[in-house]
Amino acid sequence: MGIIKLTFVLILFVFKTNGTMAQVNICFKPMFGNEKLDLNNPYYYLNPTDSIHIENLQFYISNIELYKNNQLVFKEKNSFHLLNVADSISLKLPLISNSNLIFDQIRFNIGIDSITNYGGAMGGDLDPTKGMYWTWQNGYINFKLEGKSNLCTTNNNEFTFHLGGYLFPFNTLQNIQLSTNNLHNIEINIALDKWFSGIDLKKQNHIMSPSNDAVLLSNKLLTIFFVSK
Amino acid sequence: MNKKTIVLSSFIIVILSFITIDNNLFDAPKNWPKPSYNFKKNPLTASKILLGRVLFYDPILSRNNTVSCANCHSQYTAFTHIDHALSHGIDDRIGTRNSPALMNLAWHNNFMWDGAINHLDMQALAPISHHDEMDENIKHVVEKLQTSKIYPLLFYRAFNDSLITGEKTLKAISQFMLTLLSANSKYDKVKRKEDSFTVQEEKGYELFKQNCASCHTEPLFTNLQFENNGLPIDSLLKDSGRKRITQNDKDFLKFKVPTLRNIEFSNPYMHDGRFKRISDVLKHYTNGIQSSKNLATDLQKPIVLSSDQKVDLTAFLLTLTDKEFLFNPKFGFPKEILLNK
Repeated sequence: MGIIKLTFVLILFVFKTNGTMAQVNICFKPMFGNEKLDLNNPYYYLNPTDSIHIENLQFYISNIELYKNNQLVFKEKNSFHLLNVADSISLKLPLISNSNLIFDQIRFNIGIDSITNYGGAMGGDLDPTKGMYWTWQNGYINFKLEGKSNLCTTNNNEFTFHLGGYLFPFNTLQNIQLSTNNLHNIEINIALDKWFSGIDLKKQNHIMSPSNDAVLLSNKLLTIFFVSK
Repeated sequence: MNKKTIVLSSFIIVILSFITIDNNLFDAPKNWPKPSYNFKKNPLTASKILLGRVLFYDPILSRNNTVSCANCHSQYTAFTHIDHALSHGIDDRIGTRNSPALMNLAWHNNFMWDGAINHLDMQALAPISHHDEMDENIKHVVEKLQTSKIYPLLFYRAFNDSLITGEKTLKAISQFMLTLLSANSKYDKVKRKEDSFTVQEEKGYELFKQNCASCHTEPLFTNLQFENNGLPIDSLLKDSGRKRITQNDKDFLKFKVPTLRNIEFSNPYMHDGRFKRISDVLKHYTNGIQSSKNLATDLQKPIVLSSDQKVDLTAFLLTLTDKEFLFNPKFGFPKEILLNK
């Protein structure tokens, strides 16, 4: 009796995994021009005379959804991911679904939504020990980019962009929607050179709180995410 | 009684015993509004409350292990910083505000004089990382706790896991702070018909209801809002209050309305501790209000109180003292744990 039951369960299990499981791999690739961003690379040229060095890039990707003809087909549960360029594994996000997925669009947020910002202490990638949480006026830092440029007349020529803010009118959360035809591997490029092209680093090199400037620079993030294949 | 009934009833008894334990841990007074803290996301247990209490009293939260939460929030002064207008923290650095009294925090959904913090769980991060308070960061605190002698065990008892995280640390501190209930003053006993006011206290209560209650609303004795109470701006501190957070001119010089419970022990008063005595505060409300666009609606009409009425009002305010809260050993320094460290 026991053996029959076990066999039956095993058959069911095999059938289920073979028949309906699906995995979609998303990989984020921060780029500067045609080059993959490398924190060890000392310089990227903004123009023939001015250069930039990026030391730290971390950001949240949250609420990942897949759509087909504008109909939601998949919504990741507990979808909060901290991506850190210094840790290449964190840039790869596997989505696992119980059913086969057919979709033509991926949507996600850059940053943490306001409801979660009101949610109290949380763990995993949302744990405040991750260094992506403001403490004096609380809330998550959605996007953190730090480095140096000869254009910055600051201490050590440093620039510090900590973009965040969840309260009206300084809400910085961005929702990205990208068309994609490849079903199982989605590579998303992040064109950092494009983000810097609209910023005058001489004047603007320092954002560390919710503000109008934080909103403007966060809005620019909408234009630098591309599906590359 | 068949087997099923026995199983079912013992199951119910077990469930009920859990509910009773929870009620003992957080005994919300009858007829109070519903607490705004979401206990479902952080259910109280005795071992988590104890862990939070140990953390509250342990200077390990500060950079050089010298300053604990209790330094600026001492139980005998209703968990505020006695004698200091502006609270001082690590290396005797002086902050810019008077540390608020801590009680009945489960009813608050924002914290600090300007509401900079939106959740009790996240409150402790502010003093931990503030340069003038503890000058530490939560990542390093967690590392220190993980390598300490006592904490892995305390976390294991509380969370069934000795791995320490920021989330667990903050939730435990919240649990202790949630238990700081003050609802057993003479005022509360009068409301429960266990005691009665003197004639003077009764007169004071009437004056309170006419002049103060719109902002210091019963039973919490705060409306939990931000109000401009007509204080002239301090020329050195230049504290703009709630505006610092919202960047909205409408919030200029608005500060969170503090509770009046235990006011006898929570001096000095106001966000910058500028008034030492209750009489200074009353003098401000009758003679010192600075008019402005943002002035609280109920202060736009002058408050007139004779000196006798001020005495009566003060007599009422003293009925808000809750000795059981101020001297309850379960809120005190956990010497059995911290002295044996």
